[in-house]
Amino acid sequence: MSGPRYHRTKRQDQRLVGFECQDCGWVSFPEERRVCKRCGEAPADYEEVQLTERGEVMTFVVQEYLPDEFETPTPLAMVDIEQADDGEPARVYGIMTETDLEELEVGTEVEARFREMFTDGDRPINSFRFSVPREEKA
Amino acid sequence: MTQDVHVVGAGMMEFGRHHDKSFDDLLEEAYLNLLDDVDKGIEPKKDIDAVWYGTVDIAREGMSGAAVSHATGLFEKPITQVVNACATGSDAFRNAVMAIESGRADVAMVIGAEKMHDSTEGLIATAALDRLWRGRGVTMPAFFGMRATRHMEEYGTTREQIAEISVKNHDNGSKYPYAHQQFECSVEDVKDSPTISHPLNLYDCCPVTDGAAAVVVAGEDVAHEFTDDPVRVAGSALSTDSFQRAVENSLTHFGASRRAADRAYEEAGIGPDDIDVAEVHDCFSITELVTYEDLGFCGIGEGGTLVEDGHTRIDGDIPVNPSGGLLAKGHPIGATGVAQLAEIYEQLRGEAGDVQVNDPEIGLQHNIGLGRNATGSVGCVNILERP
Repeated sequence: MSGPRYHRTKRQDQRLVGFECQDCGWVSFPEERRVCKRCGEAPADYEEVQLTERGEVMTFVVQEYLPDEFETPTPLAMVDIEQADDGEPARVYGIMTETDLEELEVGTEVEARFREMFTDGDRPINSFRFSVPREEKA
Repeated sequence: MTQDVHVVGAGMMEFGRHHDKSFDDLLEEAYLNLLDDVDKGIEPKKDIDAVWYGTVDIAREGMSGAAVSHATGLFEKPITQVVNACATGSDAFRNAVMAIESGRADVAMVIGAEKMHDSTEGLIATAALDRLWRGRGVTMPAFFGMRATRHMEEYGTTREQIAEISVKNHDNGSKYPYAHQQFECSVEDVKDSPTISHPLNLYDCCPVTDGAAAVVVAGEDVAHEFTDDPVRVAGSALSTDSFQRAVENSLTHFGASRRAADRAYEEAGIGPDDIDVAEVHDCFSITELVTYEDLGFCGIGEGGTLVEDGHTRIDGDIPVNPSGGLLAKGHPIGATGVAQLAEIYEQLRGEAGDVQVNDPEIGLQHNIGLGRNATGSVGCVNILERP
């Protein structure tokens, strides 16, 4: 994979811009498409929406067995990210960071935190990881 | 014109870790076993009009239909490679059935193979890809594990009920001569095996297995030339879905399976209650449990109780995976669906030996396949019946 792939979705990856289908309300994220994956409208009428840095864990696993380059255990969650205004959330796989496995449950509220995700050659690729808000950790 | 399609022969081989066998050796063995299995014999060069061939080509030796020609000597025939993730074999069958239905062919072979042990890095390396919003390390156990977590939360399914799937299938596999894993295990064994992707442990996962399988399908007018005891293809359907669409039950179930099943039932003019035996996709224990619900063998959220109460055992009222399923028999991807069809053929003819279900009339075969970093899925269902 090379640079242009990450450049294409920079606004989504760094500023949480999503695209809402005006026919069925489905939110396309991070892909910016001209068709709707849920209702099949083609071309679909999409409007840009702002996602927040808040999400909810819909389900999760804790990966214990992965290729050597991964740290384990690696918690991985399916997260629904809320919109700033009314509307459906965007659904993504989220990497959890700074997470105590005991506090990870279905329904846990999480925050998106801007971080370096990995490097593409020498270039850092920045985007969001998720963690349980600190004030709730007390 | 349309004509009825019948399965008239099936060739299996022992699934396992075959370091002494090449990709071509696997295809050749399934092919020769198939020729041997046809009751009244078959002259392949003369009789077979076309071949559908399933492999995702993990070993990178099987690209194009010519690979089948090299392994079987069947040159000069139209041979189409089908690739559809873990539904590859069942979709190859579906395509052969359509060709015969349409009258474009009268006799077709379906053959599937996968040489997993020559290169499984393909599967693991995919997990290592750096993808924003699609996670890192989204392996297959992770994707199915997420369904397990959510199913337990939403429906109160227990860890023990999920483990019961693996216990049942290993019990069956230990009685099925072609199965890779020949051992029995207990719920405690499953729970005590190493964690792969919490909540799934090692014994919740299918092994890495080499294998091939083949069947012959024929139009109604010629089926009797090969056997007096054919099995009719009553329904066949394929669908796609993605959890990203966030439609009904998309965090716990597979909409592609459900729609494929609905269409196959409709085509066959039957419902889930009419199924006497099923070979379904159990790449992980939880997969079979949610598949019970997707196929309508029980209501949504009732899969755990169905297995716990023994309904899906060989002597239960809806036996599932008497062959041991992918969990015990193994999952050589391109061969998997074809092998399931071969097993349903055996079951309906009463030839399944120690895993024979009591006098089945109608059998169902099912695969799901995942793609796009496990964000999308396909579902394929084929229904066979004794005419």
